[in-house]
Amino acid sequence: MAAARSIPVLAVLNRVLLWAVFLTLAVVCVYPMVWLFLNAFKTTNDMFAATWGLPKVWHWENFSTAWNYGISRYLLNSLIVTTATVVIELALATMAAYALVVLNFRAKAAIYTLILGGAILPPEVSLIPLFRVMAETGLYNTYFALILPNVAFGLPFTTFLIRAYMTGIPGELREAALMDGAGEARIFAEVYLPLCRPILASAGLISAMRVWNEFIFALTFVESDSVKTVTIGVMSFAVALRADWGVLMAGLALSILPILATFLVMQRQFVGGLTSGAVK
Amino acid sequence: MTDRSDHNRATWRQSLQGWLWVAPALLFLVIFVYGPALTNIRFSMFSFSAMSLDWDFVGFDNYLRLWNDPKFMTALTNNAIYAVISVSCQVGIALVLAAVLEARIFPDFSANLFRTALFLPSILPVVVVGLVWQLLLTPTTGLIDQILWETGLASWSKAWLGEPDTAIFAVIFVSQWQWTGYIMALFMVAIRAVPRDLYEAMEIDGASGIQQFWHITVPGVRETILIVTIITILGSLKVFDIVWVMTAGGPNHSSEVLGTMMYRAAFRDDMIGYSSTIATVIFFIALTIGLVQIKLQKDR
Repeated sequence: MAAARSIPVLAVLNRVLLWAVFLTLAVVCVYPMVWLFLNAFKTTNDMFAATWGLPKVWHWENFSTAWNYGISRYLLNSLIVTTATVVIELALATMAAYALVVLNFRAKAAIYTLILGGAILPPEVSLIPLFRVMAETGLYNTYFALILPNVAFGLPFTTFLIRAYMTGIPGELREAALMDGAGEARIFAEVYLPLCRPILASAGLISAMRVWNEFIFALTFVESDSVKTVTIGVMSFAVALRADWGVLMAGLALSILPILATFLVMQRQFVGGLTSGAVK
Repeated sequence: MTDRSDHNRATWRQSLQGWLWVAPALLFLVIFVYGPALTNIRFSMFSFSAMSLDWDFVGFDNYLRLWNDPKFMTALTNNAIYAVISVSCQVGIALVLAAVLEARIFPDFSANLFRTALFLPSILPVVVVGLVWQLLLTPTTGLIDQILWETGLASWSKAWLGEPDTAIFAVIFVSQWQWTGYIMALFMVAIRAVPRDLYEAMEIDGASGIQQFWHITVPGVRETILIVTIITILGSLKVFDIVWVMTAGGPNHSSEVLGTMMYRAAFRDDMIGYSSTIATVIFFIALTIGLVQIKLQKDR
């Protein structure tokens, strides 16, 4: 009797413990962001007085101040750089993946290794020579100074993802189209691209997030407010606004709002996309 | 093997077509990744500044100087500590968390909610994470210190980022906060691919959850463990942004890592040759890790 009882008690205890652990972790992970958004509505004094509580007065003007202080421009720059990078990267990666999956050519394995190998090298390794190239070609301090290296460093993983997906498309589809007299370009555009839509969405999302959050190129290759992306923008923002915490936090909150909104709306694709690579 | 037969079958005409399709991607990698990485090795043999016209060829002097630079040892040690803690947290702890969430202990709804909550930090820009945690860790007024005060642990209060003994650990902690949930989500996907009936069979035999974890989950996701370990070690080697934002390597260079040391040498101290030397060291460490990965994956 005693033994039979002790097992459920232990199990319940275990269960309670696990709930406590996960609840704590969830709060620890989410609360800093909640704290950021709540304090974005406070004045600096309110914040020091009550960092925990809800704002006594909701200072919405913190957000408009931050917006006008430059965040709007940084957000626009990030949007331009991210969109351009994702479009170019997907186009090049899809073409390369198509060739690697369906075409037969010499040095194929070596070329695939060369493309994948890029994933090993951290951006630090190319930074100084790239900086000189940017300066000499006049690309320094333009959107291209961010778009081009971002494409290059994203290609390995994106190509890998799309290639893995394309290997699952039956080769008979292409052969049938070839019999009908279609060329590779047409098969690519009319058969493969439509079938690849799900992986293009996931890969695009991963790449967009990477570029949106990118730091070291943005820190090194641009300097004007008119081209700075939001990651570096908030750095200058933080330096300029050390004394006005409410506005600073409003600026930080605004800078992550697009990504948070995308995440909440497209959670499934996000987690699915971000995790699809490692399990293949 | 298949590679060789491809060689024989592909005509030059076919090959040309294939090469044209991969050329744009390859060109990008050569121009922006491989080319600069190799140029960098050449740079490391010279002593020069960004504006100077004359470069002094110094051979391996920069390497000798780096070897004798006490900051280099600090940086290497910090990268190593970073890697050890990250592998323990992001591989060890994340795997356990994933196993618990996949063991159907919680109702689906709560399990999903926990996954979302723990995953959330990984989608945020490192800069914002760094700045927010800087505010949270501010002595006295920051949230962390206030929690310590309110729980009666005021004596533990510290300028976490301002003291040489704690700065790098505070930064590493924030990094674990950001990435453990992401790796956990990776493991959850991997665990889902392990056949369910293995677990059921063991359960019938009366095995505990912990036994099931060691005998089914761990062997079942071995491959993911390998990949994640490599990703995490590479990540610890190339870490730059979170350190640069939170401490910029300070105080007094105590939280310097290879990335910040390289960046400072190039863009603050204008010693391009020396900086390239550090970048070259990063290059060869990354290359070694990459080769180890290929070897391990071939062996399996």
